[in-house]
Amino acid sequence: MFFILLKPKITGFRNQVFRADGKHGKRALVLGILGSCFLAVIFLLSCRILLSFQSVELIGDFLAHKMLNMVLLTLFSLLVFSHIISGLSNLYLSNDLEFCYATPASVQELFAARAVHTVLDSSWMLLVFGLPVFMAYAYVYRPGISFYVSLIHLNLAMIFIAAGIGILVIMALVSIFPANRTRDIVVLLSLLMGVVLYVVFRVLRPERLMNPDAFFSVTEYLSTLRGTDSPYLPTQWISEALWSTLGHHAPKSLLFNSALAWSTAGALTVFSIWSAGSLYFDGFSKSREAKKKRGEKRILMRAVDRFLPLIFGRETAAIMLKDIRAFFRDNTQWSQLLLLGALVVVYLYNFTALPLDKSPIRLDFLQNELAFLNMGLAGFVVSAVSARFVFPAISGEGYAYWIIQSSPLPLQRLLRAKYLFFLLPMVILAESLVVLTNVLLEVSPFIMVLSVSTMLLLVPGIVALGVGLGARYPDFRSENVAKAATGFGGLVFMIISALFVAAVIVLEAGPVYILFSAQVNGVKISPFTWFFVFCSFFLALVISGFVTGKSLKMGRRALENYE
Amino acid sequence: MATIELIDLTKYFRGVKAVDGVSLTVREGTLFGFLGPNGAGKTTTLKMMAGVLKPTRGRILIGEKDIAREPGAVKHKLAFIPDHPFVYEKLTAAEFLHFMADLYALETGPPLESEIERLLALFHLDGWKNDLVEGYSHGMKQRLVLCAALLHRPEVLIVDEPMVGLDPSGSRLVKDIFKEEAARGTTVFMSTHSLEVAEEVCDEIAIIQAGKIRAQGSPDDLKAEAGVDGNLESIFLRFTERNPNSHDVLHSSET
Repeated sequence: MFFILLKPKITGFRNQVFRADGKHGKRALVLGILGSCFLAVIFLLSCRILLSFQSVELIGDFLAHKMLNMVLLTLFSLLVFSHIISGLSNLYLSNDLEFCYATPASVQELFAARAVHTVLDSSWMLLVFGLPVFMAYAYVYRPGISFYVSLIHLNLAMIFIAAGIGILVIMALVSIFPANRTRDIVVLLSLLMGVVLYVVFRVLRPERLMNPDAFFSVTEYLSTLRGTDSPYLPTQWISEALWSTLGHHAPKSLLFNSALAWSTAGALTVFSIWSAGSLYFDGFSKSREAKKKRGEKRILMRAVDRFLPLIFGRETAAIMLKDIRAFFRDNTQWSQLLLLGALVVVYLYNFTALPLDKSPIRLDFLQNELAFLNMGLAGFVVSAVSARFVFPAISGEGYAYWIIQSSPLPLQRLLRAKYLFFLLPMVILAESLVVLTNVLLEVSPFIMVLSVSTMLLLVPGIVALGVGLGARYPDFRSENVAKAATGFGGLVFMIISALFVAAVIVLEAGPVYILFSAQVNGVKISPFTWFFVFCSFFLALVISGFVTGKSLKMGRRALENYE
Repeated sequence: MATIELIDLTKYFRGVKAVDGVSLTVREGTLFGFLGPNGAGKTTTLKMMAGVLKPTRGRILIGEKDIAREPGAVKHKLAFIPDHPFVYEKLTAAEFLHFMADLYALETGPPLESEIERLLALFHLDGWKNDLVEGYSHGMKQRLVLCAALLHRPEVLIVDEPMVGLDPSGSRLVKDIFKEEAARGTTVFMSTHSLEVAEEVCDEIAIIQAGKIRAQGSPDDLKAEAGVDGNLESIFLRFTERNPNSHDVLHSSET
C-alpha cells in the first residue's frame, strides 16, 4: 500500500517530464541553463575561497574544516525548516488527503508516503546549494572514492535527521493548533527567525574571517571560529566524517561519526512513524475544522473606504480595497513586510559600515560615486521586492478571476488598479533607500536631487513591468500566490527589470560624470555638452515612459487572450 | 429584457474542437436547459457566452449586442454563475456584494443596502454576512455567488450546474428563483446534468454532444423528435447514443 500511495507523485512527475509540450520544454531548458550557471558560480566561488584558505599557513586546513562545518550547519537548518513548511502542506493541507484517508491504507502507511513526498520536496536544495560546495572540496583536496561514497550516504543521513526533526515539530504544532493557524504561526516564526538571523549575520560580518588582521589577537580569531562546534550537532558528526575522507584523519573517525549519524537518522525515522500512529490522524482531523473569522472594519480602513473611490474612481478603488483587505487579512502576506523592514535596516547598515576613510580615492568624489551606484542597487532591490509582491498581483485573483472576466470591468482598469495599488508603497521604499543612504553618505544636493528623480523614473517602470509581465505569465491555479514569482515569468521579469534599471543608470552615467567633474574642477560646460546631457536624461525619461506604457498594454492584451 | 443568439459558435483547444458550430436562439424570458454528457462542450459554451473565453469563430448576441464588440455593455446585462463557486476568501459576504456593486456601477445608498440585506436573507446568509468567506461551506459559497449574480438585476442569467453543492431546500429555492426570474422576463440559460431539474423547470432544452447541438425544443417537441415515450432520461439517452463518427471531447475548461 505504501508504494501504491507514492505512485501518483511518481507518475505525475513522469508525465510532466515526458509529456511536456514545446513551450514547457523551452522553459525547462532556460531554467536548466540558468540553474547550471548558478551552480557553476557557487562552485567557482567555493574553489576560490578554499584555495585562498590553503594559502594561509598553519591554519588553512583548519579554516576549510570550519567552513565545511558552517556549510553543513546552514544546509541542515535550511533542511529542517523546509521539512517543517512542506511537511505542513504534504501531511495536513493537500487537497488529495481526504481521498487518501478514505482508502484502506493504514495511518502509518499514509504517513510514511506523505513523509517521502515531504523529503522529496525539501531536499532538492541540498543538491542545488550543497553539491557545488562539496565538489569544490573534491576539486581542491582531490580525495579518493571514499569521499564520494560518504558524501552520498552522509547527506542521506542528514536528510533523514532533518526530516525526522521537521516532521515531528510539525506534528506537535498541529496537535496543539489547527493546521490553518499553524501555517500562520510557522510563517510568522520563520519570518522572525529569518529577520533576526539576517540582521545578526550582517552585524557579525562573517567576511572578516577572511581577514585575520581585523582581529585583535589570534586567540580572539580562533574563538570566533570555534562558535559553531558542538559534539551534539549531527552536522558536526557529518563534517568530521567527511573531513576524514578528505585525507586528514584516521578511518576510525569516519566509522564512528557515520554510525552516530545513521543511528540518529534511524531512531528519528522509527520514532516519527511510531508517533504518527497516535498524532497524525488527530492532527489531520483538527486541520479540517474551519474556524469562524469575522471581517473587522477598523477606523483606518473606514477612512480608506471613503477616500479611495474619490481619488481613483469607483471601479479602480473597488479592486484596490479588495486587495488591501486580502493583504492585511492574510498573515502569510502582511508578515513579509517584516522581512522588508529588515532588508531596509541591513541595506542602510551596510552603508554605515563602509570603510570610506581607508579608500585612496577623494572622499567627496567617492561618496557621490557610491550614491550614484546606489541608485542602481536600489533599483535592483525594488525589482526584487516587486518580483515578490507586484508580479504575483494578477495571479492573486486566483480561481476567483472569473468574477473579473464576467464583469463589465475593462481589463485595463484591473491593471491600473493593481499598478496604482503598488506604485506608492514602492516609491516610498525606493526613495527611503536612496534618501537615507545619501544622508548617511553626506552627498551633494545635485546627487540627492538626481537620486530622487531617478527613482521616480525607475519605480513606475518596474511596477508596470511587474503588473504587465504578471498578467502575461499568470498562475491563477496556485494555492500560494508567491509561487508565481518563482516560475519562468518571474525570471523573465527579473531579467527585463534588471536590464531596464541598467539602461537608465548607464544613460545617466555620462552626463552625471560631466556635470560632477565640471562642478568639482570649476569648468564651464559647453552648449554642446549641455545638449548631450539633456538628450541623455530625456532618453532615460522616454525609456521609462515606454516601459511603463508598453508593459501595461502587453498585460492587457495577454489578459484579453487568456484562456 | 434580452434574447440570446449564438451564431456558428466554435471553439478549439489546442487543435481539438470543443464546440462545433453551435447556433441557437433563446427568446427573452425563457428558462433554457443546456444538456449534454460530460465533456460535451457545455461549460465552454457558457464561458464564451459570459465573456470568460474567446470563441475561435462565431458570434454571441445578447439583446442584439455582440459580446465581442461591446463587452462592457453586454456584461452589464449578464450574470454568470460558474459550477465552482470560487470567490475572494478574505472578504466577508457583505464586502463581496459591495465589491460586486462597485464592479457593476450600481447606485450606492439605502436602496442598494436594503437589496443586499434582502438577498442575503433570501439565501439564508444574513447571519454570516460579516464572516470571512474562507469559513463558508461549498453550498454557502454557491448561495453567495447566486446573491451576487442577482444583485444587479441581470437581463440574462448564465448558470453552470446550479444545483451542485446545494441541499434540498437550497435547490428548491434556486429553482423557484429561476422560475420567478424567467416569469419577470429574465432569460435563464442553464447547463445541467440533472434531467429531473431540466424536466421540472425548463421551457426549452438543447442537447449538446461532442460540441454539436443534437436536438433543441420544448420537452414535448424533443419527445416527438426522439420517437420515445417516457421521461427526459430516455430522450437524452436516445440523442446522446454514441455516434461512431463522433468522439467525446475533453479539455481543460470542462471540469
